[in-house]
Amino acid sequence: MSEFRKQHPVAGVSQVIETIKQNFVTLIILLFIGTTNSEGYFLYFLAAGLGISFVGGIFGWWFFRFRIFEDELQIQKGIFVKKKVYLSKDRIQVIDITEGLLQRIFGLVKVEVKTAGGGTETATINAITRREAEELRAELRKKNNGEVHPEDIEKEEVDEDEVLSTWKLSTKDLVYAAFTSGNFGLIASILGAVSGQLNEMINEETLEYIYEMMPGYSDVTVYIALIIAIIVVSWLLSFLGVIFSYSDFQLQKTKDELIITRGLIERKHVTVPFDRIQAVRFVEGIIRQPFGYGMIYVESAGFDQTQKGRSIVLAPYIAKSNLSSFLEEFAAEYTEPEFEIRPSEKALFRYLRRPNYFLMLLIPVLWYLLTYGWVSLLVIPLVSFLGWLRYRDAAIGMVNDGILRIRYRTISRTTAIMKRKRIQNVGLSENPFQRRKNLKNLSITVASGSGGMEFEVKDLDHEKSLEVYHWIGNGKKIDPSLENEEDVEFND
Amino acid sequence: MNQEPSTRIHKNAIKAWTVNTLLFGLLWFIPAAFYFGIAISHNIGKGTPWYNGVDWVLFSSLFLIALIIYIAIAAVMPKLRWQRWKYDVSDKEIDMLRGIIIKKRTLVPINRVQHVDTRQGPVYRKFKLASVTISTAATTHEIPALDNETADELRNTISTLVRKVEGDV
Repeated sequence: MSEFRKQHPVAGVSQVIETIKQNFVTLIILLFIGTTNSEGYFLYFLAAGLGISFVGGIFGWWFFRFRIFEDELQIQKGIFVKKKVYLSKDRIQVIDITEGLLQRIFGLVKVEVKTAGGGTETATINAITRREAEELRAELRKKNNGEVHPEDIEKEEVDEDEVLSTWKLSTKDLVYAAFTSGNFGLIASILGAVSGQLNEMINEETLEYIYEMMPGYSDVTVYIALIIAIIVVSWLLSFLGVIFSYSDFQLQKTKDELIITRGLIERKHVTVPFDRIQAVRFVEGIIRQPFGYGMIYVESAGFDQTQKGRSIVLAPYIAKSNLSSFLEEFAAEYTEPEFEIRPSEKALFRYLRRPNYFLMLLIPVLWYLLTYGWVSLLVIPLVSFLGWLRYRDAAIGMVNDGILRIRYRTISRTTAIMKRKRIQNVGLSENPFQRRKNLKNLSITVASGSGGMEFEVKDLDHEKSLEVYHWIGNGKKIDPSLENEEDVEFND
Repeated sequence: MNQEPSTRIHKNAIKAWTVNTLLFGLLWFIPAAFYFGIAISHNIGKGTPWYNGVDWVLFSSLFLIALIIYIAIAAVMPKLRWQRWKYDVSDKEIDMLRGIIIKKRTLVPINRVQHVDTRQGPVYRKFKLASVTISTAATTHEIPALDNETADELRNTISTLVRKVEGDV
């Protein structure tokens, strides 16, 4: 592999598709404007843009070359600005082989080679045959070329890549996961925005037409029907989304890494080295929680600097009762949560009323605008109940082994487990009302991708929040009655 | 250990922030200036006096409101902000306290720090101040307005501490 090679020509097209994918929202908006605009010159812009990116893709493929030379993966690319990416073998942390839709049609794969650290450089080879990819991977995996006996290399390689345990998502669970996937809230808001665009279509005439079609229906029923329709459609989209992303989900554990393979049309392949894991999250969606199910994520740092947060799904649908054994098998240090710190009773009323602030603005508006707007008052008990759930679920646990657990709810309930040593910062904040009651919000940030992910518990007692604060700082528990000032220090 | 941090930032911070607030506070005058501009532009090329048609009551009330906000903020905020701002650096952690209305306290474990910089804008330079910026893998924090020597010293202290506890991400 010491000669420079080119990719399969499909790479040129895959670049174009990648561009379209990244600008999907912009394209949709442009299409909207283009079709409503009578002259339609936006469509020419669009066509020109696509044309340019296609030509760019072809040239990009033409100038892209790669080879392995003297323990380095060398890539040369660039049309006007020539770029050379040299990755030395022992800096390479992860080699992901993914099959996109396009690649699958031609029996090809995409190879992403990732290194760790500040100046992260991801080298992506968009389209080569699977055999080439496996060769490349094997070649890059060989450490210290020529200096070690061949048998040793073989041995080490086997050890590193050996699958120690596997977890699969059964078809039944996949269907359940799809049924209960709660993220239609997001999709509903997208649809809401789209229906705003459709506003022009829903004018007096069409409404009158609808009224004539369905005599005896008023304003309110049409709105309710519209809301139900949006929920159903977004639920369907969400259902399909889960089926497409998590079909054939498989999680494997090797000595140093977790390997995730998933997807129906696009087979994704993600590798997470253990030493990159920042936190493990168990998320129980509002529909899943009553059935005792949830989803497990890991937060991983580094690699892809373009990604602000890097949350990776470890298990799309798993019973809470299996959480313990799952964690023991795949993320041994992150043991199942216990909690000792909770908000006290004086925080209860604040919890109950917090979700209602938003309604204080919304209800008067609805009341004024809609005939039966006052019906929205019924939302108050519902939202207060959510507040009560939040109060009940908020908790923090600190364990001597240097593990912190934090649980909170926005809509779904999140339980995050992390090592104390991985916490990037901890913050306390109090507004004047909280100060009067001696309460504080406590937030904890871990790294995720190139950014951070924050977990927050609201309205903790001053002393308790300080206890957590200082424990994170120096690993000492200030609990005078029990452990006194014993130095509970941990090193990796 | 359990007390709030106690090291104050430099007293000149008040002056520097006042200057900054006075500079950026000019934005408050935009509504008045905008109205005035529109009003006098109507007279261009018409031979009428340039001030013709300007509603002086409206203009001066816009101007006065802006002036009051401008002076009030510049007079009060920097002082309050300085009073709140405190920090401490120990061999294990950096502890910062700030916030005028919402009081915020942040702790950054030393072994999470990735790099420390000092920074100095034109206003800070005038008052011989510098701020220290602390970056972790997830977030960036700033201790503002220390005098030059303290800032350099703090930067060196933190980077020495970081080297001692060398850890991964």
